[in-house]
Amino acid sequence: MTIQECYAALEGSYTEVLGRLYSEALVKKFVVKFLADQSYQLLESTLKAGDYEEAFRAAHTLKGVTQNLSFTKLYQSSHEITEALRTKEYDQAVQLFPKLEADYLQTAGAIRTFQSEQET
Amino acid sequence: MTPKNNQRHTILVADDSEMNRSILRSMLEESYEIVEAEDGLQAVAILQQMEQELSLVLLDIVMPNMDGFGVLSAMNKYGWIDSVPVIMISAESTHTFIERAYDMGVTDYISRPFDMMVVRRRVINTIMLYAKQRRLTAMVNEQIYQKEKINNLMISILSHIVEFRNEESGLHVLHIQTMTEILLKSLMRKTDKYNLDRETINLISNASTLHDVGKICIPSEILNKPGKFTPEEFAVMKSHSQMGADMMKEVPFQEEPLVKYAYEICRWHHERYDGRGYPDGLKGEEIPISAQVVSLADVYDALTSERVYKPAHPHEKAMSMILNGECGIFQPLLLECLVESSDLIQQEMAVDTVTKGDQRIMENTAAEVGQYEEMSATDRTLRMLEHERAKYRFFITVAQAVLFEYIASPSMLTLSPSGAKRLEVAESTLDPYHNEKLLEVIGQEQLLELAKLLHSTTPEAPVVEYNCSVRLDGHSQPVHIISQAMWSIDETPQYVGAIGKITPLEKKEEAL
Repeated sequence: MTIQECYAALEGSYTEVLGRLYSEALVKKFVVKFLADQSYQLLESTLKAGDYEEAFRAAHTLKGVTQNLSFTKLYQSSHEITEALRTKEYDQAVQLFPKLEADYLQTAGAIRTFQSEQET
Repeated sequence: MTPKNNQRHTILVADDSEMNRSILRSMLEESYEIVEAEDGLQAVAILQQMEQELSLVLLDIVMPNMDGFGVLSAMNKYGWIDSVPVIMISAESTHTFIERAYDMGVTDYISRPFDMMVVRRRVINTIMLYAKQRRLTAMVNEQIYQKEKINNLMISILSHIVEFRNEESGLHVLHIQTMTEILLKSLMRKTDKYNLDRETINLISNASTLHDVGKICIPSEILNKPGKFTPEEFAVMKSHSQMGADMMKEVPFQEEPLVKYAYEICRWHHERYDGRGYPDGLKGEEIPISAQVVSLADVYDALTSERVYKPAHPHEKAMSMILNGECGIFQPLLLECLVESSDLIQQEMAVDTVTKGDQRIMENTAAEVGQYEEMSATDRTLRMLEHERAKYRFFITVAQAVLFEYIASPSMLTLSPSGAKRLEVAESTLDPYHNEKLLEVIGQEQLLELAKLLHSTTPEAPVVEYNCSVRLDGHSQPVHIISQAMWSIDETPQYVGAIGKITPLEKKEEAL
């Protein structure tokens, strides 16, 4: 799997990210690094625990990171949940979570496939 | 871009996302040193420690513990915003957020997603703009310093000429200057009836070096006569104060306050508060305060110095002779100042006078610069320099121990690397009074008691010693803490923190 195919699988924009980072090596480095970012896990646990302030920060971080990497689909869903948490519409945020979860799994899955094929 | 040398600028990247920090790092690390902070509190701690070295802050808004606006508030509060530019980075593009950030002194704004070219360009532009401003500030600063230095040098040369004829070392004038300054500062804190401020004190202590200038008119056979004076000789000797005053009346620049004070001092530094001095027999407050202070300083230095006709008296003896009225009567309030400054006088008279002169220039420069509001950044730099000098001198004497520095606002404790290891705590602790780990090592009660002791010191006597028990090298043991409170140089000194060292009690006894 190439990095372009990886972006296609996670429904992001490779041309956009390359236009900002100027280097395929950098894009690859940060894409793989995304797997270590804990903001999704933090969002999940804080949302479940009802700690909405912390959840807002986690969602906001996830949104920022995905925006930087042009993970368009995951960026959209994290943006939506961030806005719901910002405006304190907590029920809506909880309802938005399954969609975010699906998008995250799709993104992380694509990256894992990409990563494993890189190593072999 | 910037070549790889030791002049590389340092950038603080404050963002709670490791990913984002690392993206910014990879965009900038080729040309800059990068320091990272995970939240606002860390950013403030780093700013506090290395504000002088930082060329730029890239600041995220939404962060845990303290957000970007909190960091900006701190930067405004402590004046850092004037010397360290800030570029905001965030996905928050709402108008009110941006406006608020600009209002708080942010120079530029980069919104996510990061574009390498835009990030690099904005960083270079901002750093270049501030570097130019810093250079200009440094130039003005250097000029003021030179001006002050030459002024002091001229006065010092002139007074040494007088002393030279008098076959004295020249230390006398410097002692008078130092002591005049100490007494006036003490007096300023006690009363406002003389309208003393830093500038006036500076002028009077500079003018004090001219107090014996009239002696150049006294024949050297009389001036340096080893035995007792005849009444005629004594009359000639006494004429030096009038002679000095006449000279000061003859010099141009009569409008200059320095000349006015020099005149007062020359003429009346042998007057006494009860009217039994000379040449005019002035009484009490008829004698200008400049002359009152210099006459007391003159008497003290004469007593504690060796003369052809007498040995040097020790400090205690000189103090008791003055207080008993054996050298004439002085204003009671002034004697109070003398008693209260006793330790400081003893200490300062022993200090190498050349160093002392340099330090005075440094302090005076700081005060002068402080008068120009638009130069607050320079002022602050100089204050920091003074702070560093005091710190350096103290630390030099106490090396090889657990050393600490405490800054009161924002509350932060910094330990020497070996000290932190031996106490098993972090090198920097924000808000130490509420830090559980630290309170485990040194009990809260003890910490508060030490703080109380430090707060009750004065700028003249800032050192306290305190014995208590702390967990050092893995076990609780009795220790000796010696610490110096740091006071600001404002007219009303503010407690700004403390420095000190901790030693196991046994070791101290061994050393003794």
